[in-house]
Amino acid sequence: MSARDEILQALRANRPTPENHPLPPVATLGDMDASRERFIASLKILGGDVLEPATPGETLDEAIARRHPDAKIICSNVPEARGTLPVEKIRTPQDAAMIDVTVVRAPFGIAEMGSIFLSEAQLPINSFAHLGQHIVVLLSASELTANMHTAYQQRPEFRSANYGVLMSGPSATADIQGVLIRGAQGVRSLSVWFT
Amino acid sequence: MSERPVNHARAAEHFLEDKPHLQFHDERLWDMRQKRDAQMHILPEWQELREEASRIKEHTLSRLPEYLEQFEENAKKNGIHVHWARDGAEHNRIVGEILKAHGAHNLIKSKSMVTEECDMRPYLEKQGVRVTETDLGERIQQLDDQLPSHIVVPAVHKLTSDVAKIFAKDYNTDPNIRDPHLLAEAQRQAARPVILGADSGMTGGNFVVAETGTFVVCTNEGNADLSATVPNLHIATIGIERLVPRMADLGVFVRLLSRSALGSPITQYTTHFRGPQKGGEMHVVLVDNGRSARLGMEDFWTSLKCIRCGACMNTCPVYRRSGGLSYGAVYSGPIGAIIDPTFNERKYSTLPYASTLNGSCTNVCPVKINIHEQLYKWRRVLVQHHEMPFVKREIMHMAGKLMGQPKLYRAAIKATEVSLSTMPRFVLYNWLNPWGRHRENPHPVKQTFNDWYRKNRKPGKEGTPEAKK
Repeated sequence: MSARDEILQALRANRPTPENHPLPPVATLGDMDASRERFIASLKILGGDVLEPATPGETLDEAIARRHPDAKIICSNVPEARGTLPVEKIRTPQDAAMIDVTVVRAPFGIAEMGSIFLSEAQLPINSFAHLGQHIVVLLSASELTANMHTAYQQRPEFRSANYGVLMSGPSATADIQGVLIRGAQGVRSLSVWFT
Repeated sequence: MSERPVNHARAAEHFLEDKPHLQFHDERLWDMRQKRDAQMHILPEWQELREEASRIKEHTLSRLPEYLEQFEENAKKNGIHVHWARDGAEHNRIVGEILKAHGAHNLIKSKSMVTEECDMRPYLEKQGVRVTETDLGERIQQLDDQLPSHIVVPAVHKLTSDVAKIFAKDYNTDPNIRDPHLLAEAQRQAARPVILGADSGMTGGNFVVAETGTFVVCTNEGNADLSATVPNLHIATIGIERLVPRMADLGVFVRLLSRSALGSPITQYTTHFRGPQKGGEMHVVLVDNGRSARLGMEDFWTSLKCIRCGACMNTCPVYRRSGGLSYGAVYSGPIGAIIDPTFNERKYSTLPYASTLNGSCTNVCPVKINIHEQLYKWRRVLVQHHEMPFVKREIMHMAGKLMGQPKLYRAAIKATEVSLSTMPRFVLYNWLNPWGRHRENPHPVKQTFNDWYRKNRKPGKEGTPEAKK
């Protein structure tokens, strides 16, 4: 018998009585506040930050240059920012490693967690979201959902994307003596620019 | 099975001797527990979430074959290759064959407890595959050739100075570094070229959604995303118990996981894989390795609800003061003590005793596993199966005889009192008396209860216990 059939057969023979364990209805619990303020507060807890025009009329490109003055290679996948490197230059997953600041747009965010969602639909190549040193994420305040329940129930992206990541602040670790370090293996910082 | 039981008590004794490590370990884990509590108090719906999570998991386990088939069907539709492995050896063979078919020799992987169960690294290394752990804690453990000592923070038993020493050897960094930031940066710099040069990537899976054929991986470092998106070959090793029926169920579990584990609202990265990336190939290996048998154990099947958050470890006074390595098993702490014996009853027969049965593990468990009750039940099973250490068995045996015979019992108590006050220490404190190893024996009393009772009761009225007979 194949491993598959053997495992399934053992599970059928050993499982507890299914009738005693009905499936509970889908849960929608907790705070339903989907405001920008809640999102920002949550984002900051996880080490992310917002990027806003310092002066009225400051462009996104200018704001990025202000926040990341040492950045040499800025690669944008959104029309709102020009960057310094055309995104067409990123052809292999490894190419993204040369980028200092990556600019992308998230289709939605989750207020409870300060999370932004990215999938292959927003990325020229999936590693684009991770190999750059810093990431700037464009997000529309009207695309915020309240919490994890509403996100999974309402956002169609979870059912359509092959690769879908919720990033909640930058990469982090506390694996050495419990000291929290932002910027472990992935992006060192994550900034959200509201549009 | 001829393997000797793990001597948890002796290993713990070792751990206790090193005060700086002990103190940090104890405080760090307790801090994680307190951060978890803080998150719990913010959410009025916390207990409801736990109840929901428990019910979803129990339901799923009772219909596991159907949900596994549903997952397989959907995953295949999305272009994922699905494999099934009865045990660790079969899992390793499958992974080895996939890598061989691609001519892959450089595998980067994120943390997966199942691959630890399968002891995969040495198998692949023998086959000429270089395996690199990309999680910082797991990498430290790999370089130090140790098992992870905690399922969420694998190197939590080490201090910065230990890591500095290990990195100095492998990364040529200064062994005197005492700033964790510098060490984390050293890891980033050392890992990058390996990640960019890897020809294959591997992850585990925290949750698997039957309805959509999705699997979810949670990390803080983003190392699973790097492992899965840089190489074009992605293999995910997942235990068959990780299923949930619906996408919407993830809401419950993602809200509980990191809050229970570290006290952070969510892991920095929560990644949903539903199919291979453009130009890539994706494999899922579903691993049984004792799980289907465990599902049939009436008292223990609910341990399969576990989502591997480690909250039970952080709260356990025995774990905090003995360290994960003292359990001598892939899974340590309270959850380890109830699932390890299902892998090897004799080898892990000592672990269910590594508990005070205080129940704290049960109280913090996000999926409401009755861990401390299962610890107790395992003790009963192990006694029935004669998996009990010699001294403990003999003491219980003698105690049983004594307590069954009142006269003998009272004589023994008297004799004990006499010997406690008269015998030299070497007679009283030796290997036959493990209780006295870390403690003083109780002070001898001048009068036993029975003596007092006889003296103060007027005979004949209600009678002494003897007269009653």
